[in-house]
Amino acid sequence: MSITLDQVTKHYAGVPVVNDISLDIGDGEFFVLLGPSGSGKSTLLRAIAGLSTVDHGRIALHGRDVTHLAARKRGVGLVFQNYALFRHMTVAENIEFALRVRRMRAKRRRERRQELLRLVALEGMDDRLPTQLSGGQQQRVAVARALAHKPEVLLLDEPFGALDAKIREELRRTIRQVQRELGITTVLVTHDQEEAFAMADRIGIMNQGRLLEMGAPPELYSRPATRFVATFLGAANLILALRTPDGIQVGGATLAANERSSDTREHEVVAVVRPEEIEVAASREALSAGFLAHGVVDEAVFTGAVERLRVRLANGASAQLLAGTEDGVTPALQVTRSQYEQRAFAVRAGEPVAVGVRRLHVLPTPLSSFTCCATSSALAEALSQEPLLTELAARMKTRIALRIEPQLGAADARCAGPEAFVGTTVIASQTECAQRAEWLLRRGAKDLLVLPEHAATPQRVLIHWLGEAARGATLGMSASVLRHVPAEAVYVGILPGDGEGKSRPPGMRELLDARSEAQAAHGLEMRTELRFGDVAQELVRRLGESPAQMLIIGVTDLTRFAERFRALLDAGQWPVFIVQRGAP
Amino acid sequence: MSFRKPSVLPGFGLTLGFTTFFLSAIVLLPLAALVLEAASMHWSDFLHVVLSPRALGSYRLSFGASFLAASINLVFGFIIAWTLVRYEFPGRKVIDALIDMPFALPTAVSGIALTTVFAQNGWIGRYLEPLGIKVAYTWIGVTLALTLISMPFAVRSVQPALLEVQRDLEEAAETLGAGRLYAFRRIILPTVLPALLTGFTLAFARAVGEYGSVIFIAGNLPMKTEITPLLIVIHLEEFDYKGAAALGVVMLVISFVVLLTINLLQAWGRRQHVPEAR
Repeated sequence: MSITLDQVTKHYAGVPVVNDISLDIGDGEFFVLLGPSGSGKSTLLRAIAGLSTVDHGRIALHGRDVTHLAARKRGVGLVFQNYALFRHMTVAENIEFALRVRRMRAKRRRERRQELLRLVALEGMDDRLPTQLSGGQQQRVAVARALAHKPEVLLLDEPFGALDAKIREELRRTIRQVQRELGITTVLVTHDQEEAFAMADRIGIMNQGRLLEMGAPPELYSRPATRFVATFLGAANLILALRTPDGIQVGGATLAANERSSDTREHEVVAVVRPEEIEVAASREALSAGFLAHGVVDEAVFTGAVERLRVRLANGASAQLLAGTEDGVTPALQVTRSQYEQRAFAVRAGEPVAVGVRRLHVLPTPLSSFTCCATSSALAEALSQEPLLTELAARMKTRIALRIEPQLGAADARCAGPEAFVGTTVIASQTECAQRAEWLLRRGAKDLLVLPEHAATPQRVLIHWLGEAARGATLGMSASVLRHVPAEAVYVGILPGDGEGKSRPPGMRELLDARSEAQAAHGLEMRTELRFGDVAQELVRRLGESPAQMLIIGVTDLTRFAERFRALLDAGQWPVFIVQRGAP
Repeated sequence: MSFRKPSVLPGFGLTLGFTTFFLSAIVLLPLAALVLEAASMHWSDFLHVVLSPRALGSYRLSFGASFLAASINLVFGFIIAWTLVRYEFPGRKVIDALIDMPFALPTAVSGIALTTVFAQNGWIGRYLEPLGIKVAYTWIGVTLALTLISMPFAVRSVQPALLEVQRDLEEAAETLGAGRLYAFRRIILPTVLPALLTGFTLAFARAVGEYGSVIFIAGNLPMKTEITPLLIVIHLEEFDYKGAAALGVVMLVISFVVLLTINLLQAWGRRQHVPEAR
C-alpha cells in the first residue's frame, strides 16, 4: 500500500473536520477525494502532506509511519489550487527548487528540468516568469515542480479550480497521462463529480468529515449506499417504496430489487431512481417500463445531447417522492431523455404524462422516513417542528409525516390508524413516555425516536443493544444516523456486576467483536467503552456525563420495557433511538 | 495628443491641476526659497559654513545615526510586523495600536521620556553605568531616539507586504523539502524586499529630519553629539539666516541623493525579477 490512513481524526474548535478515516490507497492508484466544500477533504490531503497535524490516528506512506514527520521529509509532491508558484523565480528556478534544496549539481538539475518540461508539454518556457504564463501553463509548471524530487506520492488540491472548462479538460488529460507514465500514486481533491469520474481509479466520497463510501466510479454511481452519495454523484430521485416478498413495490409497479436483503419483513425503503431510468409516455398503456404514477410536465429544457424534464406527480399518486437534489423546491421527478426518446415522444411543459421506472436501486439505510405520533394533531404538528428532527430530515432528504393516536399509551387500546407503522416513528419525550414507547413497539413500530424539546444536535452518539437479535439492526441504524450527524460514535458495553471477578474477559471480546462488525458490515467507525452495573442506570449515568449526547439502543425483549427504561426515557433530556428486532 | 485613459473616476484634468498646484505651493516653492537664500551667499562664505569642522561633525552624527537607526528598524521592524501579522495572541490589537504612538507623541516628550530612563541615574541608565555604557548624552542616545521615532515607518511599510505573502508559498517550499530558514531566505525575503526597502527609506528620511527628541538626550556637545538640525537652529538663534539656509541645502542634497539611490536600487531589483512586467 502506498498510503495507509488509520483512524485519522482532526478537530477544529471541538468539531471533527476529519472524523475517524481509515483508508488504503494502492501503488500507482489514482484516488479522488470527492465532497462538497467543508467536507474535510482538503484537510485530509494536508494531513497526508504533513502540513496539518492530526489529533488521532496514523498515516503511513509506503509502509513508513510518517504521522509525526515534517512535511519536507515525507517525500510528497503537492499541487495547490492557486498554483503557489514562486513569483520572483523563473519557470526553471521554480522547477529546480526542490533539486537545489537537495544540492543537486547544476548539470543534472538542468537535465531533470528538461525532462519535466517535456512531460508537461512546456518545452522552451524555462526563462519565463510565472506572471507571463496563462493559468493552465502555470498549473503545469506547478505539477512539474511537485514532481521534480521524484516524490512517492503526488497530491493535488483542487488543481483545476481556477481554470476555464476547455483548459481544465486538457490539463486533466495531461495529468492523467503523466500519472500513468510515472506510475505515481496520486490523490486528487475535488468537489466536481465529473472531474472525479473522468480521472479516478477509485473515488472516496466525503461529507462532514467522514469518508462515506468509496469504490470504482461506475459502482458508486449505480449502487450507492447512502442518500448523500446517491444525490451528490449525479442527479437522483429518491422515492419511498415498500419492500415486499415479491420485490420493490413503488407506485403501481413491482420491480426486482437489485440486491437481496436479509430483512425479510415487509418494510419501507428508500429507492434511488436515476433521471435516465425514468420513462415518460402519453398513457399508462404506452409505457414499456413499470408504471409509477401519472404526472404533469413542469418544465422541459433542451440542453443539446439530452433533454431535462421536471415532472410533478399528480395528486393522489401512490408513489411518495422525497425532495430531490435541489432543496426548497416542491418535489418533482427529474428526468433526462436522449434525442432518440425525444423523437419517439415529444413533450411540452404542461402536458400530462404517464411515468414509468426502468430500474431502481434500494438504499440499505434503515432510516426511510419520520412519522410524528401524538395524541392530537396540534401536538404532532409541534413535534414535527422540533429543530433536531427537521435538521435530521433535511440532511437525510426525507419527509416528516404526522399520525394521530388519541389513545397513545392507554392500556389495551387499539391503534387508530389502520395502516402499519413504517419508517421511524417519533414521539415527544415527556412523562409516560416509556409507556408510550412500549405501546408503540408492541403495536408494530420497529424504529422509534424519543425526542425531547429543543434537543441539541448531538456531538456524541452512544450505542448499546440488549439481545443479539437486535445487534445488526442497531449497528445499521447507528451507521445511518452517524452519516448525517457530525458526531463521534461510542459503543457502551455494559456488564452486570462491579467489574471484579471473572466476567471481564468475555466482555472485552464482545467489545472488540462489536467494533469490527460495525466497521466491516456498516462502515461505522466507533470507539468502545466498558462499564459495569445495571444497563438503564449506567446509560443514564453515561448520558449525564457530558452535554449533547444521543443514545441508540437496540432491544429484543419487551417484557417490563416501560419499567426498565422509565428513568432513561421519562427524564426527557436525551434523544433516544429505539430499535426493536427479533421476537417481541 | 492626450494623456487621458478611459477611467472609472472622472476629473483627470482637475486632479492633475490640483496635484501640480499643491506640490508647487507647499513643497517646491519653499525648497526653492531655501536654495535661493543660500545662493545669495558668497561662494567662500558658503563653503566656510558648510565645511566647518563643527558642521562636518554634525553631518556624520546626523546621517550616521539615522542610517544606524533605520538599519535597526529594518531588522526589528520586520520582526514586529511578522509577529503582528502571523500570530494571534491576547493583546495583539493593543500592541498594534502602540506601534503608532511615536507618531502621535510630541517628539520633545519622547526625548524627555528617553532621557529619564537612560540618564546616569535613570531607570535603566543606572544599571548600564557600572558596565561603562553611557547612553544619554552620547551618540548611542541619539541613535536610540531616532530609532524610536522612525520605528512605525518600518513596521507599517512591511506589514501589508507580509499580509500578502501567501501561506501557500511557504507550504509549497516545505513540501519541496526546504527548511524554514531556506524558505525564509529564498521565498519570503525576496517577496517582501521592496517593502522592506521602502520602510528603510521612510525611517531614514524621518530620522534625518528629527530634531525635538534628540536635543534632550544628545547633550549637544559641539563636534560630538550635535546633530545638523540643531546646528541650523543655533545659526537661526544668532540671526544667521544665510548660514542656516546653507546647512539646509546640504542636508537637502545629501538626503535627496540617498533616497534617489535607494529608489534606483529598488527599480533595478524589480527589473531583475520581472523583465517584461505586464
